[in-house]
Amino acid sequence: MTQQTSNPVGKSVPRVDAFEKVTGAAKYVDDMAFGPGLLYGKIVHSPVAHALIKKIDTSKALALPGVKAVVTGQDNPTRLGLYLKDRFIFAYDRVRYVGESVAGVVAVSEEIAEAAAKLVEVEYELLEPVFDPYKGAQPDAPLIHPDLGKYEVVNFIFPEPGTNISEHFKLRKGDVSDAGVSDAVWAQCAAIVEDTYTLPQIQHAPIETHVAVARWDLDGQMTLWAASQSPFAQRDLLSNSIGVPHGNIRVISPYVGGGFGGKAGISIEANVVLMAKAVKGHPVKVRMTREEEFIATNVRQSLVGTYKIGCDADGNLLAMEVAYYFGGGAYNDYGVNISRAAGYSCTGPYDVPHVKGDSYCVYTNHPIGSAMRGFGMPEIHWGLEQVMDKLAEKIGMDVADFKRRNCVRTGDTILTGMTMPQVDLITCIDKVTQAIGWSRRGEAFRASPQDSIKRDKEMPRPGKVRGKGLAIMWKAPAMPPNPGSSAIVRFNEDATVNVYVGGQEIGQGAFTVMAQMAAEALGVPYEWVRVSANPVDTKYSPYEWQTVASRLTWSMGNAVKAAAEDARGKILDIVAQYWDEDPADLDIKNGVVVSYKSEREQPLQKMVVYGLPNENFEGWQGGPIVGSGKFMPTYVTGLDPETGQGARAVVHYTVGAQAVEVEVDTETGQLDVLRVASAYDVGKAINPDLVMTQIEGGAVHGMSSAFEGLRFDDKGRPLNGSFVDYKIATALDAPREIHGDIVETPLEDGPWGARGVGEHVMVPTAPAIANALYAATGVRFNNLPLSAEKIFMALHPEGPELSCELPGR
Amino acid sequence: MQPFDYYKPKNFDEAFKLLTLPDKLMYPLAGATDLIPHTRDGAWKPDGVVDIKGLPGLRDLTVEGLEPCCGCAPGECLYVGAAVRMNEIAGSPLVRSHWDVLAQAAAAMGNEQVRNRATIGGNLGTASPAADSAPALFVLDASLLIKGPTGDRSLPVERFFIGPKRNALKKGEIIVGILIPKPPAGAIGVYEKLSRRKAGDLSIVSVAVMAQPHNGGYRWHMALGAVAPTPIHAPQAEAILNESHDDAHIDEAAAAAYGCCCPIDDVRASAEYRQMMVVNITRRAIRRVLTLQRSNVETLERSHI
Amino acid sequence: MLHEITLIINGDAYTVAVQSHHTLLKVLREQLGITSPKVGCENGECGACTVIINGAAVNSCQVLAAEADGATIETVEGLSKDGNLHPLQTAFIEHNAVQCGFCTPGMLMSAKALLNHNPHPTEDEIRHALVGNLCRCTGYTRIVAAIQDVSSDSQIVG
Repeated sequence: MTQQTSNPVGKSVPRVDAFEKVTGAAKYVDDMAFGPGLLYGKIVHSPVAHALIKKIDTSKALALPGVKAVVTGQDNPTRLGLYLKDRFIFAYDRVRYVGESVAGVVAVSEEIAEAAAKLVEVEYELLEPVFDPYKGAQPDAPLIHPDLGKYEVVNFIFPEPGTNISEHFKLRKGDVSDAGVSDAVWAQCAAIVEDTYTLPQIQHAPIETHVAVARWDLDGQMTLWAASQSPFAQRDLLSNSIGVPHGNIRVISPYVGGGFGGKAGISIEANVVLMAKAVKGHPVKVRMTREEEFIATNVRQSLVGTYKIGCDADGNLLAMEVAYYFGGGAYNDYGVNISRAAGYSCTGPYDVPHVKGDSYCVYTNHPIGSAMRGFGMPEIHWGLEQVMDKLAEKIGMDVADFKRRNCVRTGDTILTGMTMPQVDLITCIDKVTQAIGWSRRGEAFRASPQDSIKRDKEMPRPGKVRGKGLAIMWKAPAMPPNPGSSAIVRFNEDATVNVYVGGQEIGQGAFTVMAQMAAEALGVPYEWVRVSANPVDTKYSPYEWQTVASRLTWSMGNAVKAAAEDARGKILDIVAQYWDEDPADLDIKNGVVVSYKSEREQPLQKMVVYGLPNENFEGWQGGPIVGSGKFMPTYVTGLDPETGQGARAVVHYTVGAQAVEVEVDTETGQLDVLRVASAYDVGKAINPDLVMTQIEGGAVHGMSSAFEGLRFDDKGRPLNGSFVDYKIATALDAPREIHGDIVETPLEDGPWGARGVGEHVMVPTAPAIANALYAATGVRFNNLPLSAEKIFMALHPEGPELSCELPGR
Repeated sequence: MQPFDYYKPKNFDEAFKLLTLPDKLMYPLAGATDLIPHTRDGAWKPDGVVDIKGLPGLRDLTVEGLEPCCGCAPGECLYVGAAVRMNEIAGSPLVRSHWDVLAQAAAAMGNEQVRNRATIGGNLGTASPAADSAPALFVLDASLLIKGPTGDRSLPVERFFIGPKRNALKKGEIIVGILIPKPPAGAIGVYEKLSRRKAGDLSIVSVAVMAQPHNGGYRWHMALGAVAPTPIHAPQAEAILNESHDDAHIDEAAAAAYGCCCPIDDVRASAEYRQMMVVNITRRAIRRVLTLQRSNVETLERSHI
Repeated sequence: MLHEITLIINGDAYTVAVQSHHTLLKVLREQLGITSPKVGCENGECGACTVIINGAAVNSCQVLAAEADGATIETVEGLSKDGNLHPLQTAFIEHNAVQCGFCTPGMLMSAKALLNHNPHPTEDEIRHALVGNLCRCTGYTRIVAAIQDVSSDSQIVG
């Protein structure tokens, strides 16, 4: 241990997991060896979007040599759900999307399992499908879940039985009613903008697909190895659905090759568990192919959003009416929490006195909409940040000034009635507008390509136009009111420290910042700390609610800090007693206990395990040091189901801004994002460079998401469920200049003031691009995905410019 | 992937015997970059694959030691073995010396890893209308050398494509190489490809344009990919440019190219957009040729190779 | 159909019996325990399985193991020598070019193959070379910077 970094919080220390990952030593689930007895599972997927299952014949599949079991919903009519138990693990009597799990085949090889899966015969009676969430929410739409009223549901989700609406969140603030914001308020508006924006389902596309291995032992113990963001939540979901006590379920998750929310809940893991139950004693592995990953695991919900906003003559926002129809897919368990989160944050980061918001989660016969980075925020900001742009233009204000005037500030009463915790969005706006070279302040916003060219010092090339766009955002961790974190800290004889946590390293750098925080709180060098969470193992790791919501730095960080302080306190008590001093005069610095009073020193080595001998070795004091800590917010309240009002809807918000510069090739419609400038208020950057890497990755993920969209035919079958036709950003597509600024307004209950940022970094990118595209071309795009074709066709409705006629067709 | 057998024949006779086994669907194997994806998704169902890469001449890339053909003097024809990799073509100083448009097309295909495996024979054999090598080979007047159980034959490249993913090979036949005559000195060709992403994507529209010095003027060659059931020549456009290549004629040629294509709607692009892009991409390609002519550059700078 | 093949992997010869239709990726991972090449798409699109065969970067999911008989193969496991990290590995660590790490082995092998052929690539050349290596976490900025860092060294990286 040659390097000794003391007080690592705030320093860009190297990642703890990088070495393993660059040497190939890092193991993911598919790398784990289970011996020659491993069996292989293949899931049979529904080829139809909405149908009753009349008959499943597994006999031919079972007859194939090498097949050990075939499992269907008939064997296991168990439902699961975190918030709304609407899903059978294998389809029971009905399928609701192309890709739904209908049966599971277990065999001695992948090829046999694959061949046997094709032999499972299912007879379907087709039902009328629903694909559009707005249409699906209408009273006459075919019902996808006729039994919605009978599903178990938590007390803060409000499904509407007899419809396809699995959740309706209502926000009523100010002079509003269920009919809308009052006419009197609209009459005060000098400018009003009304528009509809849509976006399709997109997929997380982690480079590692979902993989799970399950083994159900003969004594009833069940082990699941999964690429998982939430081993404890998976254990809980499994226990509640298949009826095995928590203590008999063990979930183990090594490094995750990208999650982005898709590996947060349960997708195919429960299927693998049931398949393992059919072959007790044998491990069964299911690895999703890329094609399965796209449609049969999780996706981000689609959205049809209607917006109406108004401001007074000075540009103060007065009124907002929004209706969000989320296309939740066939099962909305996670989705209902997303639409709820969109509801209680429906204004975006703006101070608006009169708000009527309705956020619906609607069943559609499409893949399962679930948690994806941003959890409803990218979806609603797509339209929100464009209507704000339009309104600023209409009132004749520079959009950056408009945002500065109207954005939320610390202490504001926001839409749910809670007081805004510490944030500084104005500095974020200042930083990005400066970095991108924003147009002159105070001037009217102009969108003509000529002006965008004039603003640039460097002329774009012939046939190309440029423009800049701005978007701001906010997001709160969307969690139940009691999501807990816990941590344990213990020492080795050489005074290296093991920190045990239940949160996952999904690439965001969680393990690294936990090590930094433990080291800082203990008073030992960063290099002495090992995070012992690879794998996270529910048998050994302390409880962590989930690795989602950008919450680990804040919540698990607090738990780690508490555990470290607990251990530190125990050490100081022991040494204080040993020295006959007051613990308040003692400290630990660089792994040595020091007394400020007597200047005595006691290295931690050995004493943290063996204790300290009395004089003449007559007895010993102390012993092995173990510290424990927990963190759970205690202050989140419920919200009134009619108004969405409550004392404390969420724990806190992280805010940020992005400005982008784009270049459009008018001959082809191709769009290049030249530069992105981002600024986020993270409270305290525990590791500034890791915050920067999130900013960079998020900018590219956000940009890519503007061009992505799952496409389906009119029977609900996917048209582009592979990397051939679902394109994600490559190294060549990514913007070359990504600039980030870190703003630090400390969060009251954040460890060293820190709050999370992992999702926020991709929320404003798509609308920022749309706003820049408008500045460059004068054309506004309401519907994602963007594409060169759409841009070209919008710019040239008459076709390409030619000096002659095109031949007739 | 469903199981199949792998064979590596030592000579052509063995290869043809394998490829014509009765009641067995046998595929020639070269780079596997089409074979494996198509077998995975069930589009192709091989009982066996026949690895032809090691057969004589299939890996040659040379102007030396060839029999005279198509009126060329010895050394005046480029021979590209069917199993030569796309990256070998893209980076070959020999190919770039006089047949640069083919190198450009090879460089535009797929990604680095795919180009290190994919072969030109495979790119042709799969016969996608979007095959990158095809428009370039069309404007170069290439012909394919084919060997089969009933003998050898040669086929002009444009007669090789008979429909979307259908080629003119008879059972047991394989392409062994491509013969490309040397264009006259001063010839310049460009390959322009439009796809959804800047690279690593299938074509929405592709155009190869070549201007060859001829009788004091130029003879123009043009071919289009991804806009018809097969890659196609654009003879009307060529004739217009042969008259003149002023701006008005360039526009007319682009319009003529538009007229000869019949693209489809698919998940990548609509037919309408493809048609529009035929105009713009064709124009772009013609202008690039003219710009290069003016600067006397025969081999394009390509920064990524 | 089984074929007995010999692969020279990171300098060591391995003789193994493989099924006709098994890819090199599958054989490396499941028969030889070389797990650094990852399964990402099995279609030659994502590059997570990139290895170097006879000096060229290829997707091992697009190579039949039987075809690779006699080939010289390099994977990430062979990058470090005598316990010392390869300059690319060090650069990836120093530049924080690693997040979830799943694309990292493929990226390193593509980068190595690039620098073998082109020791001083431009940024454009680097990004082109990485088109077939998808990353969802990093945005590629640090990966490109790490490769530029190594390529600016006067020594040719081999």
